[in-house]
Amino acid sequence: MVSILKRGLAIIILLVIGYWLAQGLSGVPFGQDKMLVGQYYLNHVKQQTGAVNAVTAVVVNYRGFDTLGEVTVLFIASTGVGALLWGKNRKRTARTEGSVVLTTGTRLLVPFVILFGAYIFIHGHLTPGGGFPGGATIATAFLLLYMAFTMYEIPYKAFEKTEGIVGMGYVVVGLIGLAIGGYFLFDWIWQTWGWGHNNIGRLFSGGFIPVIYTIIGIKVGTELSGIIDNMLKEEVKE
Amino acid sequence: MNGQYASLLIAIPLLSAFFVPLIKGLGKRAIKSYVLMITAIQTGIAAWVFKEVYSTGKPIIVIAGGWKPPVGINLYIGYFAALFILIVAVVSFLMAVFNFKAVTIEPIDKYAMLFLLLMLGATGMIATGDIFNLFVFMEITAITAYALTAYNKTGEAAEASLKYMILGGIGSSFFLIGVALIYGATGTLNMAQIAQLAGHINPTVAQVGLALIIFGLAVEAELFPLNAWAPDAYQAAPHPVTAMFSAFVVKAGLYAMARVLYLMSSVGTWHNVLKLLVVMATLTVVVAEFSALRQRNVKRMIAYSSISQVGLIALAFALGTQAGVDAGVFQMVNHAIIKVLLFLGVGYVAVQLGGADIENFRGLGRKMPATAFGITIGAMAAVGVPLFNIFWSKLRIILATLQVGYTWAAFLVLAASVVEAVYYFRLVHAIWFEGEGERVGESVPLVIIMIALAILVIAIGIYPNYAWSISQKAGADIFNVAQYIKNVPLMGVGA
Amino acid sequence: MISVYYFGSIALVLIGLYGVLVKKNVLKMLIGLSIMETGVNLLLISIGYIYGRSAPILSEGIGPNQAVDPIPQALVLTAIVIGVATTAMALSVAIILYQRYGTLNVEEIRRLRG
Repeated sequence: MVSILKRGLAIIILLVIGYWLAQGLSGVPFGQDKMLVGQYYLNHVKQQTGAVNAVTAVVVNYRGFDTLGEVTVLFIASTGVGALLWGKNRKRTARTEGSVVLTTGTRLLVPFVILFGAYIFIHGHLTPGGGFPGGATIATAFLLLYMAFTMYEIPYKAFEKTEGIVGMGYVVVGLIGLAIGGYFLFDWIWQTWGWGHNNIGRLFSGGFIPVIYTIIGIKVGTELSGIIDNMLKEEVKE
Repeated sequence: MNGQYASLLIAIPLLSAFFVPLIKGLGKRAIKSYVLMITAIQTGIAAWVFKEVYSTGKPIIVIAGGWKPPVGINLYIGYFAALFILIVAVVSFLMAVFNFKAVTIEPIDKYAMLFLLLMLGATGMIATGDIFNLFVFMEITAITAYALTAYNKTGEAAEASLKYMILGGIGSSFFLIGVALIYGATGTLNMAQIAQLAGHINPTVAQVGLALIIFGLAVEAELFPLNAWAPDAYQAAPHPVTAMFSAFVVKAGLYAMARVLYLMSSVGTWHNVLKLLVVMATLTVVVAEFSALRQRNVKRMIAYSSISQVGLIALAFALGTQAGVDAGVFQMVNHAIIKVLLFLGVGYVAVQLGGADIENFRGLGRKMPATAFGITIGAMAAVGVPLFNIFWSKLRIILATLQVGYTWAAFLVLAASVVEAVYYFRLVHAIWFEGEGERVGESVPLVIIMIALAILVIAIGIYPNYAWSISQKAGADIFNVAQYIKNVPLMGVGA
Repeated sequence: MISVYYFGSIALVLIGLYGVLVKKNVLKMLIGLSIMETGVNLLLISIGYIYGRSAPILSEGIGPNQAVDPIPQALVLTAIVIGVATTAMALSVAIILYQRYGTLNVEEIRRLRG
């Protein structure tokens, strides 16, 4: 009885919110050109950043500050998971070894999955993708290893340190920009050194975008693997 | 030094948080000292920024990546942001001292990182000049706060954290829908440009978008329907973190709310949103005060008192007048000081005597006289006794409310003070006139901090003019949107 | 009349919100939150869409006037990562809750605490 009442109330609230949202959205026409700053990005992206992929240029270069925050959020998640699931003696407790298909497939695929992840983040300024999907792809390689082998563990101490070092790397790239160009997160490779200006649309272009995306790719890969590791392990009593 | 170096306020905490994994082998004490050092550096930079902004009278605009707004993201450190970034840094520094006594649960290295990032998140929320960047910093603050709430790893802590997370998740989704609507209507995310264009956009879109953003920020700002998490989280979090929540995390949310609210002040339907906020704020005050009366746990009681005072600040901001905003900022400053004092005192008692239950406070005047003194000063100030700092800011809020003609709201503030007096004096009575006890040793640095804060409380109480003039400047920074737009070097994209 | 994409994203937000408000199992509530986030992301993308234009990758004959708005896509990228982070935190809190109370039912957890 109570639950029916609760559901009814929830549905009424939802309908009110939905009506209200629809009313707001009806003032934002769908599919029409509403760009203001967006058009500026599209018009200038090639000369100003050297990237062909406008989304990447916005994410890493024009709005690079957001991305720094985003990397921080993921770092917080991995730190927070580590803090909450902390234990003195945590081990893997899985018993069933993966099937033959899984173990053989994993042995064959892991290097290629990692390679593909690296490909995604290195080509972030040219094709869809970038550091975050690339890093996530790398983490799936480790997830595969965890699923296939009961004894497998990532070298989590080294991973933690890598995470910290590449994170510092990102901030340092930003600070070099502050020192060279006078602004935090300034793209010194493209704008001051002028590297790769004849190369737009090829790999060696895009200023510091490939550098930052490599940093992000490594960071995301190690962080997500660390989260998987933390969640899979359990406290073992000796 | 060039104003762009103010970006170190963001870079230093980040860099140092990323550095912690490399020194985690050095032991607990080393990590805590490291945090103390970083917060001291941050305080130094914040003090430099404060001096720079208040002596030149011009805001520092940090332009990230060298892209002029609205193409790039800018930080806007005006009177308000300079003042509050300094408060954030100082409070973090004081709590870094408190960490030595209060935090013993492992893993300290993760705690240190989260501690620094909480400071970073609040700093960013206060400084940013871009609405989506505000969302990112809000999430940094919120996710750190989720993790720190559950840090003690008890059942209650996990439950509080889950509550916070669910409300925070709903809030951030609503916030993002609001951002999407406003972006769809204006084509920009820069706050100054949004303010410039606000008058021309479809009023329904603006109203819905603004209400959604306010609703989303209300989780962080602890306003009524969305503050169910706050008392639980305050009670369950480690003591230094509780003080940080009350002193600046909630303030960052309130500021963001006030900033976005006043940016949109040229929208035709703006007053409807104000009314909504007035209702939310008054309900916050009433509900929190009456809940505080029933509490047996002192930390939880002070948490409720903090929420009610936050409601007062929101009420002052929702009046829509210059006087109201000034009074709100003044109350924010005063509230930050006394809540740090109270949570530090109560947390220290809980550490020494094993829990913040009211039983432990009987006879505290004999057991820990200096701490008892600090808590008493804080309690008297919180009630609004004359010659303590809150008296002046409550007075200002009442005057501002009467000016707008909300007599009932002014009455409400007075009634709330009476309720507050009841439970605070019950606490003070328990401390000085009940129970017996042996003397317990008190830590010298913490006593020094408490006495310094108590002196500050009384100093502002006796001589409020200086703090009031700073608050007026900071308030004008929020209220005067035309000046805000003029200060941001917008390049002519579109409009 | 509002577009199909707007309708779909509002529907996803509401479905997610329903899950959060009504479901008793912590995991189901978290799934609700994720659905809500997906709805918001779809909304952002559809606000940036422009009829007849392609993805904002300016190669192979796609000029600045043939691409959709890149900003909402960049925002969604950020929002997705933030959603992942929240989910990861929430799941580890759920693990703690299960260790302490032996259940993930919200009502029982409340009763256990008393």
